[in-house]
Amino acid sequence: MKLLDAILGRPKQPRSHEEDLLALATAGVSLETQLGLRSTGRGGLALRPVSASAFEATEDEMRRLLETGAREDGSSLAVVMDAYGYLWVVVHDEQLEDIVSSVYAATIAMADGGFRDQILAALFEFERDGKKVCWVYNFKRARFYPFLPLPAGQRRDNAEELRFAALMKEELPLEEDVSHWYGLWGAPLGAAGEISERARRGE
Amino acid sequence: MSRQRQIPRDIGLTARMILAMFLLAVLYLAFVGVLWSAGLSFILIAVIAGGMLLVQYFFSDQLILASLGAHEVTAEDSPDLHALIERLAAQFDLPKPRVAMIESDVPNALATGRNPRNAVVAVTTGILQRLDDSELEAVIGHELTHVKNRDVAVITIASFFATVASFIVQLGLWFGLLGGFGGRGRDDEERGAGAVVLVYLASILVWIISFFLIRALSRYRELAADRGSAIITGAPSQLASALLKISGDIGRIPNVDLRKVEGASALMFFPAISGESLASIFSTHPSLDQRLEQLQRLQAQLEAA
Repeated sequence: MKLLDAILGRPKQPRSHEEDLLALATAGVSLETQLGLRSTGRGGLALRPVSASAFEATEDEMRRLLETGAREDGSSLAVVMDAYGYLWVVVHDEQLEDIVSSVYAATIAMADGGFRDQILAALFEFERDGKKVCWVYNFKRARFYPFLPLPAGQRRDNAEELRFAALMKEELPLEEDVSHWYGLWGAPLGAAGEISERARRGE
Repeated sequence: MSRQRQIPRDIGLTARMILAMFLLAVLYLAFVGVLWSAGLSFILIAVIAGGMLLVQYFFSDQLILASLGAHEVTAEDSPDLHALIERLAAQFDLPKPRVAMIESDVPNALATGRNPRNAVVAVTTGILQRLDDSELEAVIGHELTHVKNRDVAVITIASFFATVASFIVQLGLWFGLLGGFGGRGRDDEERGAGAVVLVYLASILVWIISFFLIRALSRYRELAADRGSAIITGAPSQLASALLKISGDIGRIPNVDLRKVEGASALMFFPAISGESLASIFSTHPSLDQRLEQLQRLQAQLEAA
């Protein structure tokens, strides 16, 4: 079928980001039972900032959207910039499902504002025996992959990453090409606070 | 070194290397015979190929490093790396090679140079980021063993006639057509045409057979380099650990941040250069399992002694 589709130029029906993110929320149980991973209650969405007034308007709209969700779910949100100049929507919530829905709400607001292309990736943080285990969702490729940063420098535990990927193959749409498993070191997930706090541009 | 005496010689590996080299020699002698009987022009090709190979042999280090984008680093630039290589060279009883660095996330290490006095060891930034010191030592030990065994020279010489053969196959028809057989008259021309075909066919045969023989020889020498590193560093398991970290899928997991990568064009997301993660100047390697199995055996032998 794939070959036929390719020859006839029929694009495959892509899964939506919503479906993919939902898969992570539902996989929360498996992540705990099979991999021993527990959500640290932190997640984030990485965005490429664009200095355009339209982007600011979209950002405000996104904050409003997120604020509503935050009040319902009891999440705590913040928008911060990292060392690479990327903007992060940081979500703190005890429930993985609520983190996922807040992240998804942020992507909706971005897409509605016409800034779908600015969305880079979502990062969901877990821990196991005191070690940080992240699941990255790359929006361009619509795939998840594991990311285990090691405390010292820009290192990661590749062996464990491969192991986790193998175990989650059935539950999540996984990035099969490992050369796309780019890291996200130093994501500012610690930032929390009211969504109205603007951390960037000194405001 | 008493450590070396604790591990018995690997007769099988040595025997296989010798067999491969012997078969290559037989093949090439036959080929020379064909060339000789065909006339002078093909000898000319051999001479030209030989000249090119001499150039390659003498300038292999510069050629390879230039093609990989390697730049030499001084002890001030990379004191730790220099110290590590200096220590290892002493252990291997080799003069300290020059040190070069390649800016690449793909983990890789190689050694080149026609003899131990003109050797260069190059490492990528990718391998420095992924391996710890003992693993890096094991990997560089593997490369230094290549230097010690003069594998550059061995494989270059082994490739000589294969190169001549491939030359002839690719260009031989033109050489034949353009003449140069000497002799006049129809008989000579007919004989000349027959010789062209013969040499061409022989070249194809030599090329194919030597391809496989050289690959086998390369594989054996890779295993020998693993062995050499394991014996002299006394740490086969470190080499195994390094291989596991940089071979296959693991070696292809990038050590680059996504935000750095995104800066490139929207057309990026090409796979990183696939293929050999622990490449040297040779094109073929034994399988990872084979290498790990040998290293496991060596570790067991070391522990039993």
